[in-house]
Amino acid sequence: MVKEIGEKSLVRKMIPNVFKAAVWGIITYVFVGYLPTLLFPMDFLAFGFNQLFDLFVGIAVFFAVITNLFSGTILGYAFSIARGLVMIIYFIFALDGGIISLSMPISEVTASFVVDVKAFLTILVLVNLLGIGKNLLQVTSFLAKKVEANQLRQ
Amino acid sequence: MKQAIRALSIAIIILWIFIIAFAATAVYSVMNLDIGFEETQFFSLNEDVVVSLPFFINNNGYYDISELNVTTRMTDYNGTLLSVSETFVPLVASGSNVETAHNISMDLSDMSMEHTELFFNDSSFELDAFIALNFANVIPAQVSINMTVPWGAYFSNLSVGEIFVRSYNTTHSEVVIPVSFENHSYFDIVGTMQLEVYNNEDELVTSGQTNLNVSSSYGYDEQVKTYSSLEDVSKLTESGEVYFVFETSMFTVERWVTYG
Repeated sequence: MVKEIGEKSLVRKMIPNVFKAAVWGIITYVFVGYLPTLLFPMDFLAFGFNQLFDLFVGIAVFFAVITNLFSGTILGYAFSIARGLVMIIYFIFALDGGIISLSMPISEVTASFVVDVKAFLTILVLVNLLGIGKNLLQVTSFLAKKVEANQLRQ
Repeated sequence: MKQAIRALSIAIIILWIFIIAFAATAVYSVMNLDIGFEETQFFSLNEDVVVSLPFFINNNGYYDISELNVTTRMTDYNGTLLSVSETFVPLVASGSNVETAHNISMDLSDMSMEHTELFFNDSSFELDAFIALNFANVIPAQVSINMTVPWGAYFSNLSVGEIFVRSYNTTHSEVVIPVSFENHSYFDIVGTMQLEVYNNEDELVTSGQTNLNVSSSYGYDEQVKTYSSLEDVSKLTESGEVYFVFETSMFTVERWVTYG
């Protein structure tokens, strides 16, 4: 009986989170995945960058859903930190460590392009690290509040 | 702690707005770059042959393009360096248009001494083009292109036909030397052709000179007439060699060609 009530209250607690996660998932998809394709034609992203873009959309939507689904719990913060780390790895991988090299045929010759985006990558990594730092502070605050509440109850 | 978290959140949002705005405007700017090449021009300057590649950059984007450097390196089929040319554009400001030309020059007088074969045989050059620039002052980019450029010889298929002798007067004979070649180069040949005919014992039989005016992509097929004493003409054998000296304002080249 007690277990049933506990499950019901958990489901009741989860419903707003599920709704929030769905809304954030849609919003993230629209802003990250849909609007850029309207602004910039996707054939511009040739040479496998299309797949990287899809992967970015996937990561962004997944973490938007999962962090909102577990928001208000320690798991929510854990997923936020994970998002920061995954994004850092993704950017390093997508930007080839800061040096993007690609070859493409132009009429009868092959042109090799090398673009040095190390400065841009550094900023992206630093912003994500800042995000991880913020999440760690939030976790500390969250745990401190929980401990405080427990101590007050005792 | 709450205030610190709030401050960090605001800072992160502002930074993300800047990053997204920069990325979007940078992509937009690159897409709105109008780069084009105009018709290639060939001309001679002193002793140099100049291949001029006019190009324009219309920067319709939001960011400047700085330190644009175009370097071309031309080598022959053996990898011997023939020419290195460089064009530097310090700045193509946002909203501005730059028109310039990259000139690839080759010193033909040097070439006539070191790469004589290129004057008589068609060949191809390896052209390595290297373009470096700095986009928005933070993103350096480089483009390298390797291509093969055909080279047309000035005196392609130079040959001497059957030399024959006509009587001219009591002391001299007219020696007729049929000479032919094709001008495969991009330039007209305006100059002189000196020739000396040697028999199979390396004795000079006759010599002469004629003016040349052969347009690009045209052939030369003429009978060059020289006059020699009867004694010298008698030395003419069925086979031998003709020594050519071609002289124009840009180069002087020599060539031995067998006849008979």
